[in-house]
Amino acid sequence: MARAVAKQEKIVDLELTAKAFAFAVMTGDIVNFKFLFSGLSPVRAWTSEQLETEKYEYLLPNADAESTAAYKGAYVAVRSDETWAYIQAELGAKRNAQLPSELVLMIADNAVRAAKYTLAAQAYESLRLRRKMQAEFFKQADEALAQGDIPKAVQGYRIATGLSYDYAAFPEPLPKVANYQSDALRIHGRYPERAQECPSIMPEEMHTDLALNYLLSDATAVTRLREYPLETRLAFVKELVARIDPQWDVFVARYHTACTLVLEFAERMQHQKATLEDEIEEQQGHVPTQIMEALLGRTIENGLWWQYMKDLAYEHPAAVLFIGRQRVGKHEILMPRLVADSALPEVLGLAQGLPEGA
Amino acid sequence: MASEAGYINYFERLGLANDAHPGEVRKAYKKLMKQLVQEIAQVEVTADRRAQFMLQMATLNAAVFVLKDKERREAYWAERQALIELEAEWCGLDDSDEARHDVLRPKFDSEVRSFLSKYVQEMPLNAGSDHEVLEASHWDVAHARHATQLLRQYRHHLHHDILERLPYHEVTEPKIDWSERQKTVAELLEGLC
Repeated sequence: MARAVAKQEKIVDLELTAKAFAFAVMTGDIVNFKFLFSGLSPVRAWTSEQLETEKYEYLLPNADAESTAAYKGAYVAVRSDETWAYIQAELGAKRNAQLPSELVLMIADNAVRAAKYTLAAQAYESLRLRRKMQAEFFKQADEALAQGDIPKAVQGYRIATGLSYDYAAFPEPLPKVANYQSDALRIHGRYPERAQECPSIMPEEMHTDLALNYLLSDATAVTRLREYPLETRLAFVKELVARIDPQWDVFVARYHTACTLVLEFAERMQHQKATLEDEIEEQQGHVPTQIMEALLGRTIENGLWWQYMKDLAYEHPAAVLFIGRQRVGKHEILMPRLVADSALPEVLGLAQGLPEGA
Repeated sequence: MASEAGYINYFERLGLANDAHPGEVRKAYKKLMKQLVQEIAQVEVTADRRAQFMLQMATLNAAVFVLKDKERREAYWAERQALIELEAEWCGLDDSDEARHDVLRPKFDSEVRSFLSKYVQEMPLNAGSDHEVLEASHWDVAHARHATQLLRQYRHHLHHDILERLPYHEVTEPKIDWSERQKTVAELLEGLC
């Protein structure tokens, strides 16, 4: 008969525990913070999980992180007498822990600093502060806008709209524009039978409205911005695009290349004095997909227009505001489309440097 | 009396008393839907206005769908009343009664989620297949696709309305100095520009 093996008592390393909490606070990571308090937490004395093991490395700061002022501040807050005693008491109690609100507030603010708005929203939410904080960000952003401080206003609107996210909190970076996949396709959902029906050919005011609605994905924010003159909104869009898409200039260059290809294509057709379909048949079914390849900067194998659209919307969200769908024979492609003297393409640098004749 | 904010009231949505009969429900629905359709036709429909109109249409559709059917209406009202009473019971508990708190809190949490999912998200979408609703609102697949996201946001909004008045349980009650918060917001904006 086998003898019962004496169960070895788990010893929780308190210093490591404090470091894990401080790291979660510093990174604004409410998910990891909650996990540390959960019933399966490696810092609970009765679980078989060990914080020292490799699988929990992500919960601990590396040497670089430990040397930052933000980490040191978080560590001091965690280790303050009252908070540390509270943490230990909660970890020792066999029930759901009640999180210390002073640390949750630090987490929320740090998440905003790190642009992790879903995490910030969840942390503020648990403190019942999310909507108040959102309103305050909007308020101060509006004050900045009234004073002509566009960068500050854009930052305020980005945070305020970011706090609206209703996703569950997760630490991965969010897309540049929320719901870009569905929203971009919705903008181009109906095929434009006439040029005027193309979203990028809209009157300036409507086009700017569309841009703000799509880029901010927040009806409240757009309603607020509508109070400002068109020039202010245009400057806002320019700053917003610069912030969410630092590679916008690369797209602008590609856009001009695509315009050149469109002109070449049009010229070839004129010389042949044939219909578009004749042209395609003559080229044995060739479709000018190189136009949308030029826009995206790469080829999607057997890619259809909407696949190019989704990738374009992911990489350069604002691009979808200046393109249109075009049937070419039995196929459809994306083409650059804008009103050259319209204000929005002008402020975003698309109208300058267009090839002659475009 | 317990607060009812957040527990969607479809009688109120139709501007009716809580004992209105199906005939009144249909009449009020048709009148409000007609007004809404006329309003949509008269204004320039921007993306944000489209979202507002869509939500109004979806909740009107859900209201008539739930209230014109006796069985659905009774089930809806009973669930709503039970939830309001459950909230009152939980919030009225003495802090020292931890055991009872531990029973009521998860029960309330689960029931409020289920109520909002059913009556704020599912019913407006189910209503789209009702012939009366189809006729009055011209609801189609595209509407349903767009409304799904809006209804989810609306459900969250109502859920937050409810959560904000409940006792703190996930975190300790925070001591918020609002002037400090305003300064923090200003610092965050300055620091991140």
